[in-house]
Amino acid sequence: MQEEIINIKNEAVAQISSAQDNAELEELRASYLGRNGKFTLLVKKIKDVPQNARKEYGMTLNDAKKTIENLITNKKQELIKSLTEKRDWFDLSIPGVKPKLGHTHPLRTVLNKVTDIFKYLGYQVADGPEIETDYYNFEALNIPKDHPARDTQMTFYTNTENILRTQTSAMQGRVMEKMKPPFRVLVPGRCFRYEQVDASHGFEFWQVEGFVLDKDIKLTDLFGTIDYVLKELFGKKIKLKYATTNFPFVEPGVDTYMSCTICGGRGCSFCKKTGWSEIMPAGMIHPNVLKMAKIDTKIWGGFAFAIGLSRIVNLRYQIKDLRTLATPDLRILSQF
Amino acid sequence: MLVPISWLKDFVKIKLPLKDLMWKMTEVGLTCESFKKIGDETILDVEVTPNRPDWMGIIGIAREVAAIQGLKIKDLKLKDLPKKSASLPIKLIPNFNLFERWTGIIIKDVEIKPSPKWLADRIRLMGHEPINNVIDITNYVMYEFGIPMHAFDYDEILGAEMKVQKSLGKEEFKSVDGLDYILPKDAIVIKDVERIIDLAGIKGGANSGINNASKNIFLHITINNPVLIRRASIALGLRSEASAIYERGPDKGGVIAALNRATGLILDLAGGEVASETIDLKKTVISDWPLAISFEKLEKVLGIKIPTREVIGILERLNLNPSIKGGGIICTIPTYRGDLKIEEDLIEEVARIYGYNKFPKTLPTGRQASEKIPYFFDGSIHQKLREILISSGYSEVMTFSLISTELIENCLLSPKDHVTLENPVSLDYEHMRTSLIPSLLAGIKINRDEKVLLFELDKIFPEEDYKLSGVVKGLTFREFKGSIDIILEKLNVENFEIEFETSEPFWHPTKRARIRIDKEITGSFGEINPQVLSNLGIKGVIYAFEFEVAALNKHSQKIIFKPVSEFPPQIEDLTLTFPPKTRIGEVIKLIPNSKLTDIYKDSYTFRVRYQDPKKTLTDKEVEEIRNKILSKIKSKLGGILKN
Repeated sequence: MQEEIINIKNEAVAQISSAQDNAELEELRASYLGRNGKFTLLVKKIKDVPQNARKEYGMTLNDAKKTIENLITNKKQELIKSLTEKRDWFDLSIPGVKPKLGHTHPLRTVLNKVTDIFKYLGYQVADGPEIETDYYNFEALNIPKDHPARDTQMTFYTNTENILRTQTSAMQGRVMEKMKPPFRVLVPGRCFRYEQVDASHGFEFWQVEGFVLDKDIKLTDLFGTIDYVLKELFGKKIKLKYATTNFPFVEPGVDTYMSCTICGGRGCSFCKKTGWSEIMPAGMIHPNVLKMAKIDTKIWGGFAFAIGLSRIVNLRYQIKDLRTLATPDLRILSQF
Repeated sequence: MLVPISWLKDFVKIKLPLKDLMWKMTEVGLTCESFKKIGDETILDVEVTPNRPDWMGIIGIAREVAAIQGLKIKDLKLKDLPKKSASLPIKLIPNFNLFERWTGIIIKDVEIKPSPKWLADRIRLMGHEPINNVIDITNYVMYEFGIPMHAFDYDEILGAEMKVQKSLGKEEFKSVDGLDYILPKDAIVIKDVERIIDLAGIKGGANSGINNASKNIFLHITINNPVLIRRASIALGLRSEASAIYERGPDKGGVIAALNRATGLILDLAGGEVASETIDLKKTVISDWPLAISFEKLEKVLGIKIPTREVIGILERLNLNPSIKGGGIICTIPTYRGDLKIEEDLIEEVARIYGYNKFPKTLPTGRQASEKIPYFFDGSIHQKLREILISSGYSEVMTFSLISTELIENCLLSPKDHVTLENPVSLDYEHMRTSLIPSLLAGIKINRDEKVLLFELDKIFPEEDYKLSGVVKGLTFREFKGSIDIILEKLNVENFEIEFETSEPFWHPTKRARIRIDKEITGSFGEINPQVLSNLGIKGVIYAFEFEVAALNKHSQKIIFKPVSEFPPQIEDLTLTFPPKTRIGEVIKLIPNSKLTDIYKDSYTFRVRYQDPKKTLTDKEVEEIRNKILSKIKSKLGGILKN
């Protein structure tokens, strides 16, 4: 019986000292000391040992087990030491195998960023119809039929009685007639205009409309909002300047020029060589717009603005052709 | 509008360097981003907004340039016209709904000849070729005053009678430049006793135009109904410089001065004598009007207090004749500023001349909406779906809502079921899509990679419901199906049924299905019809899905955390065989905590994980569970254990 212990122990010692790694050592530990390990079986055999030899048997067995345990522990240490001391050269510059992720569309990335900025300023996002009535798209915005301002927003007519919205501003009337101020609203969405397609014009483009109504909204609030938002989007280094403009739904009307981020203001084809890009038309909401939504202009006033989202995306990524964004080509999309 | 600097200088001194002038003009609303040089002349190109007819003339622009620089405009010194020295009759039959004001004069015995050089040069600077002295003068005065006028050959006004009326439609009309038109209904026309001789506000008639033989002329200015002019010029596709002014509504009060200016030039350059009184037909007296602005409102809207002296100064520079009255200012608005109607208009005048770029910047103080706004958009499900797909390897595309008849028909859909544009810009973009899959297939077509996974999340029409669609190339069916499984799993959608049918014709006739959750159809998926692929020139097998986003959102269950079992599982593989056409998707529903690991011929191997949250399962307990599962599979689906 003692001999069996010694034999198994010797066998284990030999195997442990020639083990190559931790896994092998763990396997050896299981095969000798585990639930069905060889020593465990020897422990179970103690009942077959004559009463007078049991004590010695037990001691020998315990010694052997302890020896094996120690050997395994020491061998592990030895292995770790040899791993750290070997100082193998290993090429960490080798290219990895990339996990196969898809790509977020750049317009979406910018839209999410814009939305986040405005949510921080207390705006809620509204979603409105792309197939819109003439009333909300024009008349509720103080652009009656036959108004020359309609020329700047050439319209697609559909075989239903409705049109494709030319501006997300169409949501002003819809929201205002349904809810009492105060509110701050952001409306991202597609717009459509009858324009021949070229590098800087698209018949489908994205716009983000925003409007704020409250008792005490001032022109300086509009300038401040534009300044805050564009600097959040493009960084503090951009330059902004404001000019008067005319849209029938605002008075006073404001146009925003941003230093061209493509050429850095030196002048390029994107900014028509002016160094400036017209980026965010805005203004104080015209009292006629409020009156049409039955809002008391003696109490309430506000501002509205529109961000040409497609244009902003192009400026941000230096994309010179507006058509690029709508092309479902992975050579384009995988860059983002 | 082109503005030659030398002409502008007739009326105003220019102190600012050109670049500064251009920006200051832009800042006050007279957008000027480019100029060109012709010889020594610099010609500004300005964009005139629809509210400013006065900027359609050099004088109006000079007034603005003077205001910017704080200068006075040099007024045009108009000579007194010689008294009427001959007499030719004319009878004008007005209609004040069509012509609000109709002003004219007859000049006898003019000599039609080429314009002198200074006049011809200025006409050329404005981008036109000179024609003859009289016509060039009418154009010259239009450019100067922003008020269109027209000269007739008096002897061609048959019966010496002019009657303004609406066209009936379909009349033929030859314009003074020799083009033939068929008139729309309700254009404003002038008739003599026999013929239409003028398409008012748009083009003169060939039959009564000035030619080299003309001797006597009738010169007139009409203030037309802008809506009718606009409609007619759009219907005819004929936008002239005059119609652009008429749409904006020219200065009703300035017509006598403009007529005098033109008459004086004609007498100087073409000779002749005045042969009628100045005719001036108008319904009402046209005069300046008062407009008030309160200091309180001014400060409230602008957010800053501009000193009263400065406000007065600004309004004076704009010739608005301000005087302080009570808590505000009363202005007298000259007739050429028809855009100034309400207090807000005056507030803009003050702000823009004060200078937008001098304003401080603030953020709105105060309140936000206390409840959800109408049309509130919760994009969180959209964002979640995008994240699932992008991390599954799909790339997001954002294509056009408008698609072509060809693409619709190639996808076996019918253009008739689509909202269609009456005036498409191109046949490639004619219909509002009813599914996102055609656009995605077009995307598959242009990508040459072996594996292409695209998705789009956007609206379909006319419902304007959001759909989530994906299309893949180069994946096996099970690799593709995994993305549907993961969407349903991540949204924690339970109790969905896969029905082996779909309604859209772009699916393969048998390899397609729809997903029903609680009786509601939530989406479809499968292989794209080979006919569609052949139509589009796409090779290989293409799989696609299209989900209703709102339905997915509705059936997405909140995730409830299940505690992790401390007790070890038992894991085993079960290989089963089934009768033909068994739905393995139904089988797996009967084996909890399992996944399909292998398919070999008719054998399906499932790795099953037996685990209890409260105890370690004994072999006997596992056997009981296994037997229960197997007997259910056998009785419901006829599946038999193989190993």
